Amino acid sequence: MAVAVPRSTPGAPIVPAFEPLEIAAERCKGCELCIRACPKHCLALDSTIVNPLGYHPIRLTDAGACTSCALCARVCPDAVFTVFAPPRSGGST
Amino acid sequence: MIAPTTRPAGPAAGPEAPVSEPPRPILMKGNEAIAEAAIQAGCDAYFGYPITPQAELLEWMARRMPELGRVFVQAESELAAINMALGAAACGARVLVSSSSPGISLMAEGMSYMAGSELPVVLVNVMRGGPGLGSIGPSQSDYFQATKGHGHGDYRVPVLAPSSIVEAVALVADAFELAERYRTPTMILADGVMGQAMEPVIPSYRTPAHDASEWALSGADGRPPRVLRSLNLNPEDLEAHNQRLQAKYATIAEREVRWAEESLDDADIAVVAYGTAARVARTAIERARHDGLRAGLFRPITLWPFPSGALNAAAIRLRAIVVVELSAGQLVEDVRLAVGSTCPVYFHGRTGGMVPTPGEVVEVLRRVATATARNGAPA
Amino acid sequence: MTTAAPEARRLVYRRPSLLTEQSTHYCPGCGHGIIHRLVAELLDELQLGPRTIGVASVGCSVFAYDYLAVDFVESPHGRAPAVATGVRRMRPDAFVFTYQGDGDLAAIGTAEIVHAAARGERFSVIFVNNGIYGMTGGQMAPTTLLGQRTTSSPTGRDARTAGYPIPITEMLAIMTGVSYAARGSIADPAAIGKTKAMLKRAFEIQLAGGGLTLVEILSNCPVGWGMTPAESMDHVAHDVVETYPLGVIVDRLKAAAPAPAEIPTQTETPA
Repeated sequence: MAVAVPRSTPGAPIVPAFEPLEIAAERCKGCELCIRACPKHCLALDSTIVNPLGYHPIRLTDAGACTSCALCARVCPDAVFTVFAPPRSGGST
Repeated sequence: MIAPTTRPAGPAAGPEAPVSEPPRPILMKGNEAIAEAAIQAGCDAYFGYPITPQAELLEWMARRMPELGRVFVQAESELAAINMALGAAACGARVLVSSSSPGISLMAEGMSYMAGSELPVVLVNVMRGGPGLGSIGPSQSDYFQATKGHGHGDYRVPVLAPSSIVEAVALVADAFELAERYRTPTMILADGVMGQAMEPVIPSYRTPAHDASEWALSGADGRPPRVLRSLNLNPEDLEAHNQRLQAKYATIAEREVRWAEESLDDADIAVVAYGTAARVARTAIERARHDGLRAGLFRPITLWPFPSGALNAAAIRLRAIVVVELSAGQLVEDVRLAVGSTCPVYFHGRTGGMVPTPGEVVEVLRRVATATARNGAPA
Repeated sequence: MTTAAPEARRLVYRRPSLLTEQSTHYCPGCGHGIIHRLVAELLDELQLGPRTIGVASVGCSVFAYDYLAVDFVESPHGRAPAVATGVRRMRPDAFVFTYQGDGDLAAIGTAEIVHAAARGERFSVIFVNNGIYGMTGGQMAPTTLLGQRTTSSPTGRDARTAGYPIPITEMLAIMTGVSYAARGSIADPAAIGKTKAMLKRAFEIQLAGGGLTLVEILSNCPVGWGMTPAESMDHVAHDVVETYPLGVIVDRLKAAAPAPAEIPTQTETPA
């Protein structure tokens, strides 16, 4: 199962210790409904990959921006998203 | 009421006569006798739509099924009725549906789906005059429809043809058994005479055993989900499925053929007829014999699988065959196929709700006897 | 705050267990995927999986039985309410639903749904209305909008020859046998949430012994409509709802509102 990897940018805040999304990239059909739904604009198709279904799968571009609102999961026709919220006592941000 | 998917075979659920005395016959209308036979055979559900000449079957079910806590629905059409039957059969129920010719046409789609999905159902056709709206008189003009597949696709259904109300009553239990043993729709082909006439019927019935627990839908509780369907878009898979169906039909053809022979052993000419036509023929044969003509009756009871082998064997000894039908000639095609050039095949039929009289048939037998004697056909 | 052992992250959403592992054949962005997911979520939440018998119909969703892990029977086109009637009468304890498209329910199957509603049959109808016949290549449906181009209305649906979009749910809602009739959409996350609530209400009414429950869900067909998935959702949200307004049309078991809702008039005027 493909896992979203947060991109690190020089000078950016510390990369969060947890990953808010696990994405089943092999199921994604690149429909972009999640991109339309995401209020934080932190999802994009990964044009460097073509999955076994023949699509560019979705990728979390900025884990730090993700608020675990799960609207992506709510609109996804292929149920590719598993969504996590940060641990109660720690984690980033 | 939850319909059981298993039911052990048992004695009749109906009134049991004292051991020392045989049950007394009851005068019953054919439609009602067939309905009661289905009830006594353990029918769980009936779906139908009123159509002459079988409305009494539906009405009997409307009264009796709720009395017994079983399912009765008068559907909005024959189309809906056969589909309700599909749903009930998918749940493992023992299901009866009845109609008459135009309604049976509406059920063609459902029968094809049930054949493809391998669901059991017993469908009674009380045939009437056609084509189209036709008449409410009796006919046998749905033979092709019943025996040549009825709906689309490569499939057959066993077709049982009683020639009396008493025989129809016995065949109902057999029909359920066939349908469930082979997981196939099964037809009982009756006609308007049989549906409307009254005969003394002995109320002694058979309840065949029933167990659909291995395949019926009941909710995937503690087992993998089951899907009952006929769709298969992969040609290799659908071909394999069709081959399995054909193998099933071959098994049925091997094991379930039925026919009756009367006065055939020393006959020169045989009448081949089923249903009401066979009863007319029986009287005609009696009269012909009285006049010195050696005639006999070959009566198919399963129209599919057709008793080709037995008919062919009989034909070798015959000078001629006369097929009598209440149609323009449907059974006669299967007779010709079975008999080949072994002996000449003649046809006498009436359509439109007309019933051939014994006198007509005797006249045909005489003419055929004369014609074949003149031609010096082998005895 | 880096030396303490990281606590477990909290699960917010996971794919429902009653969705099978099989990737669907639906086009990218197709509403069927969303609706299947909602059904699976609810069956999971209400723990109905082990006693569900679904009736699959004919349309793009013909393979629903490959994606939802419950007992299923396939029905001929339009006949699902009749098949479901047979199922329901034989299995009083089952949870029964049909899943039908607009052609299945509002064209070829109109008699069957009307009479199942008349009889108040206790099953739930999930009616996916995307105004087109997707599976057969994009022909006009009874719910196609006026002026909409399809492969069998290439110059746009003309009321003079092809009539008006059928408000089938409103028509059914006036029948006493219909306990619940509602229309939702899957055009955006909020609409999806409301649709799920409608489905849940429908399912609960079935479990409580009510009559027919019907949820019409305005859905999309990006390929048939010639739009991207995102555009198609905008079309549902802005255009389709003009002809098919969202909301609960009738909820007869709701104590506060026993009377049926006012039937909305069609917005198109006859030519």
